[in-house]
Amino acid sequence: MSKTLINVIDREGAVREVEWEPEQSLMETLRDNDFPILASCGGTVSCATCHVFLEKPVVESLSPRTEDELELLEDAEAYNPEASRLSCQIKQCSSLAGINVTLAPEED
Amino acid sequence: MSEESIVIIGAGHAGVQAAVRLTELGWPGRIVLVEEQDGPTYERPPLSKEYLKAGASDEIPALRKEHYFDEKRIERIKGSGVVGLDREARNVTLSDGGQVQYSKLIIATGSQARPLTVPGSDLPGIHLLKTRADAEALRTAMQPGSEVVIIGAGYIGLEVAAAAAALGCATTVLEFQDRVMSRVTSDVVSRHFEELHQEHDTRFVFGTAVTEVRGDGRVQEVVTADGATYAADVVVAGIGVVPRQELAEAAGITVKDGIVVDLDSRTSDPSVYAVGDVTRLIDEENGINRRLESIQSALAQAINAANHIMGQAPARHEVPWFWTVQHGVRLQTAGLRSPDDDVVVRGTPESGHFSVLYLRGGRLAAIDTIAALGDFTAGKKLVASGAHIDTDLAADPANKLTTAVRELVDETR
Repeated sequence: MSKTLINVIDREGAVREVEWEPEQSLMETLRDNDFPILASCGGTVSCATCHVFLEKPVVESLSPRTEDELELLEDAEAYNPEASRLSCQIKQCSSLAGINVTLAPEED
Repeated sequence: MSEESIVIIGAGHAGVQAAVRLTELGWPGRIVLVEEQDGPTYERPPLSKEYLKAGASDEIPALRKEHYFDEKRIERIKGSGVVGLDREARNVTLSDGGQVQYSKLIIATGSQARPLTVPGSDLPGIHLLKTRADAEALRTAMQPGSEVVIIGAGYIGLEVAAAAAALGCATTVLEFQDRVMSRVTSDVVSRHFEELHQEHDTRFVFGTAVTEVRGDGRVQEVVTADGATYAADVVVAGIGVVPRQELAEAAGITVKDGIVVDLDSRTSDPSVYAVGDVTRLIDEENGINRRLESIQSALAQAINAANHIMGQAPARHEVPWFWTVQHGVRLQTAGLRSPDDDVVVRGTPESGHFSVLYLRGGRLAAIDTIAALGDFTAGKKLVASGAHIDTDLAADPANKLTTAVRELVDETR
């Protein structure tokens, strides 16, 4: 089975390729690879500290945001309706290989 | 000279975060994580929520994958508690008799569920909920048709009640106070959640104290002070937690219902830090004296302990926040309310979506949002800034919460 590799762009703009393991959420992968997301609620749609931007076609290919996720995102300073997702809500899937994931800025 | 070691006792949210932060900051020596349990690290919030639901996955998400610790050269001693702390020799004694030297020690032993102490408390069928093993046992015990009696209507008790009712158990909650979550929220929020549970056929008995648990070989009924009895196949005690401070206390470190720490997570011993549920933060200058059961606080304390060890400035102190989900309804709280606060209800409970603002001297001290996450982030920021709130504007959910600010007070220290 081929590995699901994705590109993560950190808050300084540096790009790093990381492996996204099966069964993991995107948030868990980011955390395991040392990206500075606090994910303080542990992936339960409570805090928006795992906010990322995905490319528009990727967002459109995913199942839609739940009401809770949307409410949290809309309140984030950097919210972008076309690109914002909570990474804890995105499960690994081989069709997501090669996507670019950009960390949202930290909230004030 | 031997390499400097940081020993961290406990691999919950706080202990793991401390190890992670130390590696992020490039701690050059050893990091040794002493873990009481043998399995992988795990998230706690799902234990009383998703995990108990019918058909839920057996998997509980890990705090970090197992290989993460290897890659970061975080040494792990699994399946071992710490039974002794010698501050002079700077070593800890493990339950198997082994000893580990430290240069700095971080105590992250957390809390344990407060056990029932009435007669019959040792009967099989009585559950506490704190660890993965507890959750597994409870999930196995709660079967459709079971009579489940829950003692305590706090977060844990109510989350279990929601899971039990959804599983088709006959669910009863016994509570000493006259409403649910009385310690953490206001009357209006309590009543809303009480009704929610009643709609799911959960029975509440308020103002009642459990005096005995009876059963022949295993639990059969719960007895209260007024002589009433409640049939039970499963009893769950959700009556709070107690900090696991014995190790520090025995070693002469200052404890006051929690290991006393400052804003840098330092204890009374300069070589020893404590983080997470086991701590009581005392900062007299800012009028802080509290023990919080909060993941967000545990993570912040862990980061600050590591920062202090590495000579970094403390991270900003976030407003404490908490959440619970019961029957799919999410309650999120930011800030710490006081029973004397002025209460402003924003929106109506009948609509199912509303917030409750707690004002102290006209400033927003805390906020509860009920299925109204849109107010949560804004409210948290306003609590942090000490905003003065126009209550008429704030009460109408048609206005964004931020437009109800009369005056922003910069409380940045």
